[in-house]
Amino acid sequence: MAPSLIRSPVQLPPVEALALSQQAPAILQSSPSTVSSSALGSLFSAAEKPELWIQYENLILSSLRTGDDRAAQECLDRLVARFGNNDRVKALGGLIKEAQAQNNGELEKILKEYDQMLEENNTNLPIMKRRIALLRSMGRLSDAASALVQLLDFSPTDSEAWSELSDLYFSQGLYPQAIYAMEEVLILAPNAWNVHARLGELQYMAATASGATSGSYQKQMAEAIKRFSRSIELCDDYLRGYYGLKLVRSAVGAAKMIWLLTPSQVTKRLLNDNTKPAKQTDDEDFSLPDSNTIERLNELATAKLAEIVRHSSAQDRGWRGYGAAEVAAARELLSEDAPSGIER
Amino acid sequence: MTLISKSITAFGSLLLAHACYSAQEHSALQSFRAATSAALTSTPTAATSLPIDIAIETVVAILVILIGLVLGTSPLRPIQWREWAGKIEREGEDGFKDNKGQVNRDYMGNPFDFIEGRPNFVDIRKQRKEFAEWVKSQGQQQK
Repeated sequence: MAPSLIRSPVQLPPVEALALSQQAPAILQSSPSTVSSSALGSLFSAAEKPELWIQYENLILSSLRTGDDRAAQECLDRLVARFGNNDRVKALGGLIKEAQAQNNGELEKILKEYDQMLEENNTNLPIMKRRIALLRSMGRLSDAASALVQLLDFSPTDSEAWSELSDLYFSQGLYPQAIYAMEEVLILAPNAWNVHARLGELQYMAATASGATSGSYQKQMAEAIKRFSRSIELCDDYLRGYYGLKLVRSAVGAAKMIWLLTPSQVTKRLLNDNTKPAKQTDDEDFSLPDSNTIERLNELATAKLAEIVRHSSAQDRGWRGYGAAEVAAARELLSEDAPSGIER
Repeated sequence: MTLISKSITAFGSLLLAHACYSAQEHSALQSFRAATSAALTSTPTAATSLPIDIAIETVVAILVILIGLVLGTSPLRPIQWREWAGKIEREGEDGFKDNKGQVNRDYMGNPFDFIEGRPNFVDIRKQRKEFAEWVKSQGQQQK
């Protein structure tokens, strides 16, 4: 079954994107090519639904991805016929041009067009976002980052932009900045369980990245555990949260040096490390929970992951929401864990 | 499930209709009797109430209709955040279908997906390239 067109298709795997874009001719045919916006016209034709326009937008995204430029252009034409050249439609037009550009020269030209539009109105959010995405796509990462920071200056409540900034920093290996930007997203959307899990993943990666000192390793791992736990708290049976917990546990277990320390030793160590008393209390909050707690968390995560993997492989009713790739990764993690458990 | 609830509701409606009809007939008969007896004896008769069996039938009919309607409602939605979120993750679209098997119109999946997907920042050239490679790899697998 093809996924719903109401939802954004950006994160879908290729198979589903293909299924979506194959729906394009049927949808374009079944819906009227022009919808009158005048009050008189709406008396005679069918009522327009807001979902239709979302469908067109998503259809543009997925058909561009699969290379069906004609369907994308058709959708855009209908959007233009309905809304005229407003900012959002202009950004979609730019997106189609970007997808069709053959070489760098054409991309530069599109970039200039964006710049021109921004000169008229430099707080034009959709165009600004397209420009940043294009800069990033062309490999001009520092330009993209500075433009993003500028955007966030005048629109600091844009969680999508903060998340993009975080991803941009992350792709350059700047973990502290990436974590900071993700925390901003969390301020804007404190209930978003996937953002909690993402922050946990960032902290886990920051901790395992080379060059992390033992103090910051501890802190990051402890924070990661907290984040993953929170994501599970916000969402029952959240595969990603349990996966992260188990990953952190095995990483902490692998780093025997820290694993063997009792909590009191850890705090003693922190006390010796730090000379400033104000900082000590800060760091104590970030010390890892004691080994019993971690062990229990690990048991819980293993049990839950095994349950999820079992039910989704059997295609049980009520367990079909997980992605195939997610479940496969969980199964792999469980099978990695099993032999080492026997050794001990 | 829907057939059961519908037939129960229909049965209840039938009972209710029957009760109404009986009540109507009863009162018609009563007033006729009163009119004739008044003409004959010219003494007023006490107004009689409905017989108990009609009253019981009405109450039972309403209960049966209620049971039928309650059985026919779509399953209740979770009102706790974590249960609701867990349902989205665990069941996906399956968990948000009504009795006819259609996904509810207001089902959006995880409402925070856009924060990670970032549709306004999509790098369409990269996605296009990746998709072309995927198609190629599929073609090779089939050969």
